[in-house]
Amino acid sequence: MEELAQVAIDAALNAGVMFADVRIENSTTTIIELNDGITRQSMASRMKGAGIRAFIDGAWAFAQTTNLSREGMRATGRSVAKLARATREKVADRFKIEGPVFEDNVKLNVKKPFDTVSIDEKMQFVKLIDDQARNFDKRIVATRTIYGELTSEIFIANTLGTRVYLQNTIPRIISVPTAKEGPNRQRIQQSISLRSGFEEMETENAQTIGIRASQLAIELLSSKTAEGGIYDVVIDPALNGVVTHEAFGHATEADNWPAHSTVLEEKLNETVGPEYLSISDDPTLTGMRGSTEYDWEGTKTKKRLLVKDGILTDLLHSLETSSRLGLEPNGAARAQSFMHVPLPRMSNTFMEPKDWDVDELIEDTKKGILLCSFNYGYTQSAKGQFMFQASHGYLIENGEKGTMVRDVSLAGNILEILAKVDAIGKDFELEAGTCGKDGQSIPTMTGGPHARIRQVPVGGM
Amino acid sequence: MKHAEKLGASQAEAYVGQSRAFAIEAENSAIRNAEEKRDAGIGVRAVIDKRIGFAFVTTLSKKDVREAVTSSVKLARASIPDPEFVSLPASDGSYPIVKGLFDKNIAELPSDATADMIIRILDASKEVLEGRNYAISAGVQSSSGMNAIVNSLGISFSEKRSSIFLYCSPVVKETDDQTTSYDYQLTRDLTEINPEQVGKNAAELTLSVLGPKTIESGEMPVVFAPLGGGTVIGYGFAGAVSAEEVQKGRSYVTDAFGDVIASDNIEIFDDALLTGGLGSRTFDAEGFRSQRTSIIEKGVLKGFLHNSYTAYKDKVPNTGNASRPSYSGLPSISTSNLILSPGRGTLDDLVSEIDRGVLCRNTADRPNMTTGDLSAMLYEGFYIERGEIKHPLKNTLVGINMRDLLQRINQVGSDTKATLAMITPSFVVENAVVTSG
Repeated sequence: MEELAQVAIDAALNAGVMFADVRIENSTTTIIELNDGITRQSMASRMKGAGIRAFIDGAWAFAQTTNLSREGMRATGRSVAKLARATREKVADRFKIEGPVFEDNVKLNVKKPFDTVSIDEKMQFVKLIDDQARNFDKRIVATRTIYGELTSEIFIANTLGTRVYLQNTIPRIISVPTAKEGPNRQRIQQSISLRSGFEEMETENAQTIGIRASQLAIELLSSKTAEGGIYDVVIDPALNGVVTHEAFGHATEADNWPAHSTVLEEKLNETVGPEYLSISDDPTLTGMRGSTEYDWEGTKTKKRLLVKDGILTDLLHSLETSSRLGLEPNGAARAQSFMHVPLPRMSNTFMEPKDWDVDELIEDTKKGILLCSFNYGYTQSAKGQFMFQASHGYLIENGEKGTMVRDVSLAGNILEILAKVDAIGKDFELEAGTCGKDGQSIPTMTGGPHARIRQVPVGGM
Repeated sequence: MKHAEKLGASQAEAYVGQSRAFAIEAENSAIRNAEEKRDAGIGVRAVIDKRIGFAFVTTLSKKDVREAVTSSVKLARASIPDPEFVSLPASDGSYPIVKGLFDKNIAELPSDATADMIIRILDASKEVLEGRNYAISAGVQSSSGMNAIVNSLGISFSEKRSSIFLYCSPVVKETDDQTTSYDYQLTRDLTEINPEQVGKNAAELTLSVLGPKTIESGEMPVVFAPLGGGTVIGYGFAGAVSAEEVQKGRSYVTDAFGDVIASDNIEIFDDALLTGGLGSRTFDAEGFRSQRTSIIEKGVLKGFLHNSYTAYKDKVPNTGNASRPSYSGLPSISTSNLILSPGRGTLDDLVSEIDRGVLCRNTADRPNMTTGDLSAMLYEGFYIERGEIKHPLKNTLVGINMRDLLQRINQVGSDTKATLAMITPSFVVENAVVTSG
């Protein structure tokens, strides 16, 4: 791989560019999906190819090839450099790409590599979860269970001299049962995913996920739709993660600065929230879905203290953004595959825990709503507007958890919401997620403690 | 296919997808990067009795293709048989002719011409924003490609398609406010493109959402412009009439076939034969012939969208709605061109009849497909009072169940627009819960 990368880099440099980088990827995935006890999908794939970027004076060009021969790499290196040079005549901002050089060969040691477990064993595991979800209660009318595994090897090289070889393996199990009683139907999704081999699918937690999913789906049958209004909201760790990720994390991606597309543009080193609030993005955590030793530009990753004691102290950088803003690179450039350009992205994002006991937090909330888990969320950084939806929740009346409610949506503004966080729990949990940006999906984790947000609009039916 | 059969597959299918896309993007009102993507790969589906395996690879080299075939057969053997599976689709002879899918001028568009278009977008946008603090993102992407499908039952087709996409998204900053909006154009016909219009519209739309406010919450009518309505119906209703979701009991219209589910002025259909339509094609993602399918007529639910699996299972005609993400996935079900038939009146006409309500120009939200509950943030929304738009909205959500939404559409406009989700005019939902704060 090293030699092929060098061929492409040399071809680009000879064509007269200032910077070039190459990602050569060889990844495999397996997906097994059962619906109602029957195989709906069993799929294997191999992604093999190279993505090459060339840069000159502020102009970027990108191309990809699946022709991993010397000729293929040379031709693509040359053509991408030509494209960068043609683009250069039309760019406005001139700048350079700078960054530290890394050479490393990272081996990921997992207890049970995927290829040591037979396809039949994996099928049995999916069947176990699907059966336990369906057999949990006769009101479970449909089950859907998906197992996925990703094994990737990637080699990154650039003209600064970086040469990094990375490995990753991520398994995932998802259980989606549907419960029905009379005309009322409810569906729930639960998932577990970590950075590991198959061993994390053999834990008691993973082996019983179908039961927990079905239990929640059955409980939801007796839930009500929430009445829309302004509420004091307590969010659970899973939902806190989504709030932190959507309502804040995206706006700290540093490619927003040159594009002038974040409401946080003037806020670096300024107060953005109360002094007891800290938000971190940490790709160095062991075994988490969003973790990686180096990013997809070959920069060593480190923990990012995005908000420390209420002050915006760090951003998520690619080499371009750290170079243009004159800040320290921190290894946040990620791409979905060799077919995509690396962009500043989150990894494992969470609100740091503080001192509230969860029961006391609920008791202290006289009238409000406890929101749990999430269906989805999104944000528009340039406007500061975000929205997310909890999968379920409970009304809080006189400090007690009451009626169960479902599909509760919450909308708000990035700059307004953090100031409304008035109590942060001492518990902590991270949940598996997938983050999308510019058509690229990447594995992430999000979480934090329970927390309370005062007076926010909650949508109802 | 032959190799799969040799390894023991009773039926096999190969899907080859090949594409080329060229894109130029601008950031902070100036060109920044160019991209050329060439992609070619193959997906192989192997059937052994009622067991199915699938594998794909992102290259077309013989060795990799053989590996994909071997994996798909191996996966089929390991699968749990699906008693409801009958067969891959067969070719039934007559295929329609669909025009306007491929434009040589788009496939061969020189990179200079693309750069010229983006500059025209930027210039038109800047003209509207002159004297303000702004930063414009814009892009032009031309794509072309072909797909080919071959199976053991005589299906053997290929088709070329091309399209061009233009977008513009300005950010405008004022002392105590900053906002953004966007406009785009996606077409298969190069002569249709209008970069100036995209740039100008995007800028005007952005200015229109400056200074958003909240309103007093309550129940009120909601006017959906094509972009917002397209998301709600094009994703939120289309997903519910997928036969797979219906058969699995996961759709909120599962038990409603033949029932009145919408007001009687509603007609919705799916038409894969539309000339130059973005979802148009001669055959679907399994190679089955395309058609026009009625979904709602005079408010009555008349049809679901099928692929070969769901059609065989229900013993009904296949509507040819198999879709897949090129070579990299198994067929699922989706719309081709979903169309809400127009009624009368412009968006302004519809707004002029509202005493107190909101306009949803855009939303990104979809309902819970099982319950139909929809809670949609007004990504771009406006407050309407006495027939006039008063101001843009922030932190505002519209809540309604999809079954109620369909029943409460009391007016459909004539301002039909092709959005990414569907082809639809504006329409009015007479009552929904609006929460703002």
